[in-house]
Amino acid sequence: MTRLSWSRLDGTDCIRLAGLAPGADVQVRPAAAAAAAGIPAAGLPPMGGRLAADGADACFVPRFGFVDGTAYAVTVDGRTAGVLRRPRPDRPATAQVLAIYPAADEVPRNLLRCYVWFSAPMSEGHAAAHVWLADDAGTPLPGALLPTEHELWDAGRRRLTVLLDPARIKRGLAGHRAAGYPLQAGQPVRLVVDAGFRDAAGTPLQAGAERRYAVGPDERRRVDPAEWALAVPAAGGTEPLRVTFDRPLDHGLLARCLHVTGPGGSRVDGTPQPGPADRSWQLEPRAPWAAGPHRLVIDPIVEDLAGNSARRVFDRDLGRPEDDPRASGFITVSFQAR
Amino acid sequence: MNEHSEYGLQAGTADIGSAGPIAFGPDGILFLADNAAAKVFAVDVADPGPAAGPEPFDLDNVDVRVASFLGCEPGDIVIRDLAVHPVSHNVYLSVQRGRGDGAQPVLVRIDALDGSVTDVPLDDVPVATAAIYDAPAADDERLDITLPLGEEGEEVTYGTRTFRLLRQPIRTATVTDLAYVDGTLLIAGLSNEEFSSKLRRIPFPFRDDAAGSSLEIFNVSHGKWETAAPIRAFVPYDGGASILATYTCTPVVHFSLADLQPGAKAVGRTVAELGAVNQPLDMISFRQDGQEYLLVANSAHGLVKIDCRDIDVQAPLTEPTEPVGVPRETKDLQGITRLANLGEGYVLALQAAGGRQHLRALKTASL
Repeated sequence: MTRLSWSRLDGTDCIRLAGLAPGADVQVRPAAAAAAAGIPAAGLPPMGGRLAADGADACFVPRFGFVDGTAYAVTVDGRTAGVLRRPRPDRPATAQVLAIYPAADEVPRNLLRCYVWFSAPMSEGHAAAHVWLADDAGTPLPGALLPTEHELWDAGRRRLTVLLDPARIKRGLAGHRAAGYPLQAGQPVRLVVDAGFRDAAGTPLQAGAERRYAVGPDERRRVDPAEWALAVPAAGGTEPLRVTFDRPLDHGLLARCLHVTGPGGSRVDGTPQPGPADRSWQLEPRAPWAAGPHRLVIDPIVEDLAGNSARRVFDRDLGRPEDDPRASGFITVSFQAR
Repeated sequence: MNEHSEYGLQAGTADIGSAGPIAFGPDGILFLADNAAAKVFAVDVADPGPAAGPEPFDLDNVDVRVASFLGCEPGDIVIRDLAVHPVSHNVYLSVQRGRGDGAQPVLVRIDALDGSVTDVPLDDVPVATAAIYDAPAADDERLDITLPLGEEGEEVTYGTRTFRLLRQPIRTATVTDLAYVDGTLLIAGLSNEEFSSKLRRIPFPFRDDAAGSSLEIFNVSHGKWETAAPIRAFVPYDGGASILATYTCTPVVHFSLADLQPGAKAVGRTVAELGAVNQPLDMISFRQDGQEYLLVANSAHGLVKIDCRDIDVQAPLTEPTEPVGVPRETKDLQGITRLANLGEGYVLALQAAGGRQHLRALKTASL
């Protein structure tokens, strides 16, 4: 009679088999897999792994680690020797939604993108079920977000990028013609993240979160730095340079598309910071501002909330020559610190 | 090992962080995209199989079988892509096992003769690596800094206290599809920030400066609106001189690679729309009676078949009226998410049905 137990061998989880006859054929399979497919377990490949001797016992060391909460059926020479279930640790919910972007209270009807920041690394595969757009009464707006197999995370899996379905925003496409814009001007919406979203350990959030937006008219103009207002600091001081935009810009791109160069052309070192509602940006220098010519340097890929960049509008009406794309080089706005 | 020195492969580890699309290149070299590290690995998979005949290959419940081998429930795996070895017809699956901290990419091989499942070791194999996207811009110093639970990151000392910090980039790119044509690896991707359509060309064998060049692709919809969108799936066409691409917003666009310089803007010709509330999932070309056809797997429709002769003569779409673009035939084959050529006679499809996933050989003569 073979006795089974969870054990460890050389620092790895294993199944210990005591009383195993020499030369016996041991196979391990996740117990529920065969039932799920309605086929005999023996018809499924056994779990990859090796049998290692440890004293009088044998240990099944898996090629891929055991999964918490999963039951494993062990057969010896084709006969069931037992089923062992991995315990599922009872972890308290600790992860939270830290912020939802856009930070603006009102978004254009052709809003393209939202971001959700979590307090901890999260698991992939939950966005489609646990992030949605709802109307002001909380009723989900089906088909508003882009259903994609590819969840868009930062490398730390703390920031999730959520796209509204571009086929419904772009004029002329089948999705737009058949289903119309995902949002309607004048009808507020909520971006909802429910508590079922799992963190990296598989634990749900402490609580769901949502952000409400008023919906305004379309934004179809190219982002134009000539429309921005600069509050220029005095030379010799460390007051920040403040740049105010004519509209909110994209949270992700704003954080990396602007910088400042000084009189010698070298970059001004300091602390950049987006302003309220991503309608402004400031740079507080590490050293006092030098006197002389400075440049605000803008990467033209910077976008507004509707995906219009400083280089091109999101969907260009070929009948509007004023919307022709501009060259791809950096855009500069000159100012003098005095 | 020496047989692949011409491709610059050297013994090492394909240290893949996240399972992405896969595609075969020359001489049984498999390209694997790593979406976590924005890299592509070229690996000699040392396929052990004999040359295959013209037989089909079917395998029911492939998700259950792979999960059983990997020691988890079928719901714990995601099959990200499918490739068929051109000689042995062994099937390679790019699989992500688990979802969070325990997530692990695995390259799985299914034997074409007996359907047995193994994993392909990725350590101490002939391998070469290339960065896929432009490194984050020099002015993008943003890093998400966290306190790791494990041994990741770097040790930092402040005063008398020492702890670990993990710094990871915020801007990332996800590979949506890749293909190899005549010394060039073509890669399409999706940014987590800017909305753009870029096709990257990386020469293979990889060189030291292997970042390659990128093309920005625009397409004109109905003669009125010019737009760009991330490419979801594509196939080299016309011997690699052009590309047929499908987008997150479903048009099929034809554009030529010839004469395009790095950094150039390409404007494609929209030749078909595949319908509203639909996502194209994969695309291949195949031959039937000496003619080339395109097959597109869709989220909302069956498999769509398009005669490439119709693409060649299709004028750019100018009117937003039905029917939209080239004639197409919709096959009553639902739930197909991935496609690969299985020799000349068959197309191998990964098909969801009855809550499970299956590998099905579709006879090209009857498609």
